[in-house]
Amino acid sequence: MNTHLRSRRALGLAVASALALALPACAEGGGGGSRSSGEASPGITDDSVTLGITTPLSGTTAGPGTCTVAGVKAYFGKKNADGGIEFGDGKTRKVEIEALDDTYDPQKAKANYDQLKNDVFAMTAGLGTPTNRAWREAAIADEVPQALIMTGDPLFSDTDESPMQLGFVPIYQNEGEAFGKLLAGSSQDHKVAILSQNDDFGEGYVEGFKSAVEDADNIEIVKELTYEATDTSVDAQITELSSTGADVIFNAMSVTPLTIAALQKAQQLNWKPSWFLPSNTSSPGAILQPGGATAYPGVYSVSFAKAPASPAFAQDEDVVEYLAALKQYGDYPEPPAFPHCQWSWMVGATLEQVFMKMEEPTRASFMEALRSVKDFEAPLMLPDTSVNTTEDGQPAVSTVVVQKYNGKGYDTVESFQ
Amino acid sequence: MGTFVQLVVDGLSTGSVYAAIALAIVLVNQATGLINFAQGGMAVLAAYVAWALTNRGVPLVLAILLSIVFSFVLGAVVERYLMRRFERGDPDTAVVVTIGLLTLITGVAGWLWTYNNQSFPSLFPLDTVSFLGVSVSIRSIGTTLVIVVVMALLQALFVGTKLGLALRAVAINPQSASYSGLPVGRLLMVGWGLAAALGAVAGALVAPQLTLTPGMLDNALVYALAAVILGGLTSPVGVVVAAWIIGVLENLAAVYVPFIGYDLKVAVPFILIFVVLIVRPQGLFGRKTVVRV
Repeated sequence: MNTHLRSRRALGLAVASALALALPACAEGGGGGSRSSGEASPGITDDSVTLGITTPLSGTTAGPGTCTVAGVKAYFGKKNADGGIEFGDGKTRKVEIEALDDTYDPQKAKANYDQLKNDVFAMTAGLGTPTNRAWREAAIADEVPQALIMTGDPLFSDTDESPMQLGFVPIYQNEGEAFGKLLAGSSQDHKVAILSQNDDFGEGYVEGFKSAVEDADNIEIVKELTYEATDTSVDAQITELSSTGADVIFNAMSVTPLTIAALQKAQQLNWKPSWFLPSNTSSPGAILQPGGATAYPGVYSVSFAKAPASPAFAQDEDVVEYLAALKQYGDYPEPPAFPHCQWSWMVGATLEQVFMKMEEPTRASFMEALRSVKDFEAPLMLPDTSVNTTEDGQPAVSTVVVQKYNGKGYDTVESFQ
Repeated sequence: MGTFVQLVVDGLSTGSVYAAIALAIVLVNQATGLINFAQGGMAVLAAYVAWALTNRGVPLVLAILLSIVFSFVLGAVVERYLMRRFERGDPDTAVVVTIGLLTLITGVAGWLWTYNNQSFPSLFPLDTVSFLGVSVSIRSIGTTLVIVVVMALLQALFVGTKLGLALRAVAINPQSASYSGLPVGRLLMVGWGLAAALGAVAGALVAPQLTLTPGMLDNALVYALAAVILGGLTSPVGVVVAAWIIGVLENLAAVYVPFIGYDLKVAVPFILIFVVLIVRPQGLFGRKTVVRV
């Protein structure tokens, strides 16, 4: 390394010192995965393990982003207070979380990863498709786990393409397909209008939906329109779709204010179809109530988590424990308006399962354990859903149930009514 | 036909949102010769103040009025203690300062009230009235009417009052204005204060629709700037008309021009700007700047 430095000196002191800082980091990062002989990976000691998160904590996606940290922090905060978690190697460790803000900016996400990779044992829970994609390849090269992240992008659940990755939430296609199946099973004919975000998110939902209704004779897709995630209004799209007279709208939208505006606009046009909304834009308090969703014959979404705001779960043991921990350890005073808080809590519970199976304090052993969780009913999970990490091509949670809005929360439904 | 009229009406209503911010930008420009990029940010801050007040049980109308007063003071204070230091120097520096201010205000609002979408109560009901087979929401009509009234007031202020004349004099030539006995400093504070107060009105009008977040007006600001350039920096009527044109054309182009569609409609106002700037560099309604040699 010395000769290396000396030869660079001509280029100037600044470059040299930058290299001097960078080289040891590279050496350490590159060597991380080859130590499979039981020597501990970075970020883990005999009594603690540190997890890293890069997620939006400011900016437009900060609401859900803040939740992705709060849930997992609350989960391990409570476990730490109870003494820690017994790992598969017999040692009991406390779990520390180090979270950095990427403002949903891919470049910042990569910089955050670079900053964290040598201090943390694994990266987890961070929200965002473009942001998680930004450091996916680096994580593979450095052999740093990018585990149970919050993106519905199928790339992260493909073991060949993404050996160090695993997505947590259902991929977009899972959700679109679940609703498509429900609709195809309906005894009536339906005309469907589609409005989708012009990116992988929107396309994934539409793809899943179409694959489920492909062979259904009772379903006709009458019109398909798109919008950009940066648009301030979708009034024109809703107006155009309303003129088709469709009785179902498949609204693959990820932007909160636009979803509210779309629900309001259709009412103003006196167009009253049944709605499908993705899991991340179907919050009863934050979206359906201001959107006046009770005006429609049905608002459907999919879920795998109990909604803490729903009266049906107010006394639920899981929910009570979760809300208390979220307040005390998650630094999140109000009942959450985004399901990401619940998902993040489940990520914590799933990681605990992984830690209990992990026989060596190494990243390699972690990855092996990560892919061996079977039919685990994490706290807050709805009946008929579970965590299953053994299936290639699927995220940790790939089963969702379709739910219908009841004016306050959601009820699971078996058929389209 | 019904769809066409509906698209035009929808466009006017979206355009009114852009117009509200554009008017505040014109006001600051008329009073100080600057473009204030923080205009949207200050409007958001005012909307948060109104929102926080309603959460404490203050009636909505009173809360909005209080937020307008708050904004007037904030605008004046920002001018006196921040912008004053940059006004005599390079105008580019001052513009960069306003961009910095936008970042700062957004950050402070996020820190105080989180980045979650807060729902802001609407001044107008969500009901609709229909005529000619078109349904128009009362909120759209209300927003549009308020904008028209504000625009008329501004036009009257600049053209018909001594204060307006003095504001314009200060903006065009501060030195001569002070020689002729005008209290330049105070007028600048008033100009910024009025613009911020107008921003507060805009914030209260659009917050129910966009839902309150610190970055609520970031996208609208881009369209507002387009309207300002299209309509002419000197004309309140011009920017409002330009904002409506942008709103309507965007919608129509998306539906009726197949290759534009919803994906390219964002480019429509900017193509319009190119065309207008080539044909009429002062904007559709702007006055030519004439320099005496």
